Amino acid sequence: MSSSEAAHSAHNPYLAHHFDTMEQQDHAARLGMWLFLATEVLLFGALFLGYTVYRWMYPQTYQECANLLSIPMGATNTVVLITSSFTAAWAYHSIKVNQIKKGLALLAITILFACAFLVIKYFEYKHKFDVGELPGKWYSYEGLQAPGANLFFAVYFLATGLHGLHVVIGMTVLSIIGYRTIKGRYHSGNYVGVELGVLYWHLVDLVWIFLFPLLYLI
Amino acid sequence: MTNLSTKAQESHHEDHGIGRYVAVFAVLLVLTGVTVWTGEMNFGNWNIIIAMAIAIVKASLVVLFFMHLWDEGPVNRLIFVVSVIFVGVLILFTFGDLMFRIPGLLPNFIQADDVPKVMHAPHGGH
Repeated sequence: MSSSEAAHSAHNPYLAHHFDTMEQQDHAARLGMWLFLATEVLLFGALFLGYTVYRWMYPQTYQECANLLSIPMGATNTVVLITSSFTAAWAYHSIKVNQIKKGLALLAITILFACAFLVIKYFEYKHKFDVGELPGKWYSYEGLQAPGANLFFAVYFLATGLHGLHVVIGMTVLSIIGYRTIKGRYHSGNYVGVELGVLYWHLVDLVWIFLFPLLYLI
Repeated sequence: MTNLSTKAQESHHEDHGIGRYVAVFAVLLVLTGVTVWTGEMNFGNWNIIIAMAIAIVKASLVVLFFMHLWDEGPVNRLIFVVSVIFVGVLILFTFGDLMFRIPGLLPNFIQADDVPKVMHAPHGGH
């Protein structure tokens, strides 16, 4: 790294002293985020394995249990999450091109969609608690007494619960990004933080893209 | 490392505007409709294959264009693809074990044909 190059990028106050250039710093940040996303894929991968094994052991029960879930609610939540993913990508683009107000509005819309997702999920959960479609020994739904039904709902609550936790974390991350953008930290000269937070939100969408057909449709 | 990272950054700095996001968003909505539509029909064993094929296409669109892996450098692509491959290995190898075990040795295992369509609650008056 020549001294002239270092001097050229030295004016950017967001460049940490242990990096030569902003590009190098962004590259390291993206690498770290993708490593983290890879561990998330493995985390959910283990749950998908559990789903697959129990499905193989109790194929008919799985189909009957899937019929107990509300496709309209699941499909609505799919559309809600896909739309929120789109508005998150749009928010990132807006902040990147210095349209700060638009970016903030889009971040707020994304968080509202996340709330809508959780509200719909709450009504689904509440119904299952009311009728006893619960995991393990708590399963007491009389409309379907079949071996493996309690396993289906164990997988259902673990998978959607872990996913719901990710939704809450994602909302927190997006809120922090919004706050920092208001404070003037993120703009066309420094946007990699927005990019990485939005990547996390896309991961939440990504997991749901698989959960929806596996749990509700087949 | 320098060459690698420089190449990645150059491509990453391309800005495609929001047109690409809108197109991907539209395709994702259409595919969601298709997967709900095909999910309500009965193709037997093909149900799961059709649903997973659509989910994989949707997930690829999200990863490549919303998450910019299309423009990302080779290292980040490798990391993500390897994680997906390892989930595949996890599931395939577990199935290799499950499929070649003696069924009776599996915990609570019941042959698919033996499972009554619906078993009534034990207190259902005998």
